Amino acid sequence: MKLATGAFLAGAGSRLLPPSIPFRFFGAAAVFHLCAWIALLIDADGAARFAGGLGWPLAALHFGTLGVLAMTAIGASLQLLPVATRRPVGSGRWPAVIWWLYAPGVALTALGMGTGATTMLAAGAIAVVAALVAYAALLARNLIGAKGMPVVVAHGWAALASLIVVIATALALAGTYVGMATIDRATAIALHVVFAAYGFMGMLALGLSYIVVPMFALSAAPAERPARTSFALAVLALTLAGIAALGVVPELLRTAAIAAGLAAVAVHLRLMAIALKTGMRRHLGRSFTLVRMAWAALVASLVVALAVVHDAPLGGLATQFALVVIGGWLLTFALAILQRIVPFLASMHATQVQTGGRSLPPTPSALTAERPLAIHFACHLAALGLLAVAVAADSAAAVRVAAAMGTAGALAFGAFFAVAMRRMRRPPTPASPGTMPAA
Amino acid sequence: MSFQRQVSQALDTDHRANIDLLGRLELAFARAGRSGMAGDAGLGKLAGALVRQLEQDVGRHFDFEERDLFPRLAAAGEGDIAALLMDEHEAIRSVAAEVLPLARAAAAATLDAAGWEALKRGTLELVERQVSHIQKETMALLPMLEDLLDEDSDRELALAYASG
Repeated sequence: MKLATGAFLAGAGSRLLPPSIPFRFFGAAAVFHLCAWIALLIDADGAARFAGGLGWPLAALHFGTLGVLAMTAIGASLQLLPVATRRPVGSGRWPAVIWWLYAPGVALTALGMGTGATTMLAAGAIAVVAALVAYAALLARNLIGAKGMPVVVAHGWAALASLIVVIATALALAGTYVGMATIDRATAIALHVVFAAYGFMGMLALGLSYIVVPMFALSAAPAERPARTSFALAVLALTLAGIAALGVVPELLRTAAIAAGLAAVAVHLRLMAIALKTGMRRHLGRSFTLVRMAWAALVASLVVALAVVHDAPLGGLATQFALVVIGGWLLTFALAILQRIVPFLASMHATQVQTGGRSLPPTPSALTAERPLAIHFACHLAALGLLAVAVAADSAAAVRVAAAMGTAGALAFGAFFAVAMRRMRRPPTPASPGTMPAA
Repeated sequence: MSFQRQVSQALDTDHRANIDLLGRLELAFARAGRSGMAGDAGLGKLAGALVRQLEQDVGRHFDFEERDLFPRLAAAGEGDIAALLMDEHEAIRSVAAEVLPLARAAAAATLDAAGWEALKRGTLELVERQVSHIQKETMALLPMLEDLLDEDSDRELALAYASG
């Protein structure tokens, strides 16, 4: 056995990160994914009409947003943004420091929310904020002087600006739980939700899609001009939503923001459809089925947002909005991309195996456990569908079943990740041709 | 990704041609099924194209990268990526060495049923390794060349590659 050369030589000054950096973030995301569903299972009664406040539904929400979405976004951006900026991350130590602050911080924050232990919540929030500030500095340093892919870089800047809003409003909201009110709670929540979901996570998801979708489809880069148009519309949408959150003609500006958001998404999805249609790898398998579903949920989230803004006479609409935007779009998208990117990265760092006179690194498909992914696919979609029904029907029993399905899916996803890590260190065979997934 | 340098464009074009052929072979194998491979004239023809590609284009492409590009990458502090891509070249060469005699026999219509199965397995492995390798080169090597090469060295290397 010998190690792939890249595994030895990865250094801080290079664009090839050591595997421990992205995988610690992705592994933590897989664990917090499980925690999110379990937290929902603990208090299913309070979830169907959840509208804020301490408790396990809030913990589930933050295990999902901070623990899975932001964790994945940090890991993926550290790995992918240097491709766009043509600049290395610069330091192998800082991402590790960020992880050591962030992962325990998320656990403390969410557990503090779930148990109502405000001191624990405050301690966790401080660690999370410190980690996110350090990440923001790392991101800014990478974006300053970026040389390539201006559209992706622009999305990175918008995500960074949104992250600053998210951190400021998170501090304000956490402050209210320990008796330190700074800005009006409703304003803080409105800014926090929009800039966390569509700003930080959304702009990273849209921007990094211009890298990963053409990469996996082997297509040409999406056209620059429409991509810039999509970006400008998305920034306009965020700006309008931000002004509306401050109380300036909120209904009108929110409607305009949603219209701009829909236009931005329409242009972006048109570019993605072209990339998938013209790419040399058309059959991208189960993961891209999830990506397509996530895109549909992104559109649906804006439609549901419109219904929320105009007070449509439907029960649990705000909860339904949170479900569609966080579960349907962002969580589905993050898990879909993770199941492509984990084996791909693992194959770059895998141990070679000597068999039958050949010494070859394993292929990504040889590192992929297909059955857990199939189970996750079914459970994830069933859980989200059932949750939507549960919210509409205000049914705690349906939430419970959905959370159990989600837990099973999260366990399966965790198994996929663990198998990939184990096979990266000890591949079962040199390669498993003939069993490869669509790639 | 879109590239400005002639060398990046030429390598990208080669990647696309390579994947196009492997994709057609993959599809033809899927259509032919277990029993139909031996009698499939289209597959035989594609196997002939694969022989030409493995004998001429893949070697030329890899040799050029290893001789003229990877040392520049290493000199720019990206030796780890160059080493990773070199490892993958070795892996692809190894699989190609197994596939080549089978593809030759398939093109000459002298391959038996077991040979067709082996050719199918080898081709599918080649497809996956090439796709994964091309994805890495598209994301890492080609964008770096945009920075590492100036107009003169780009022109010189593009000429060398075209005539190689």
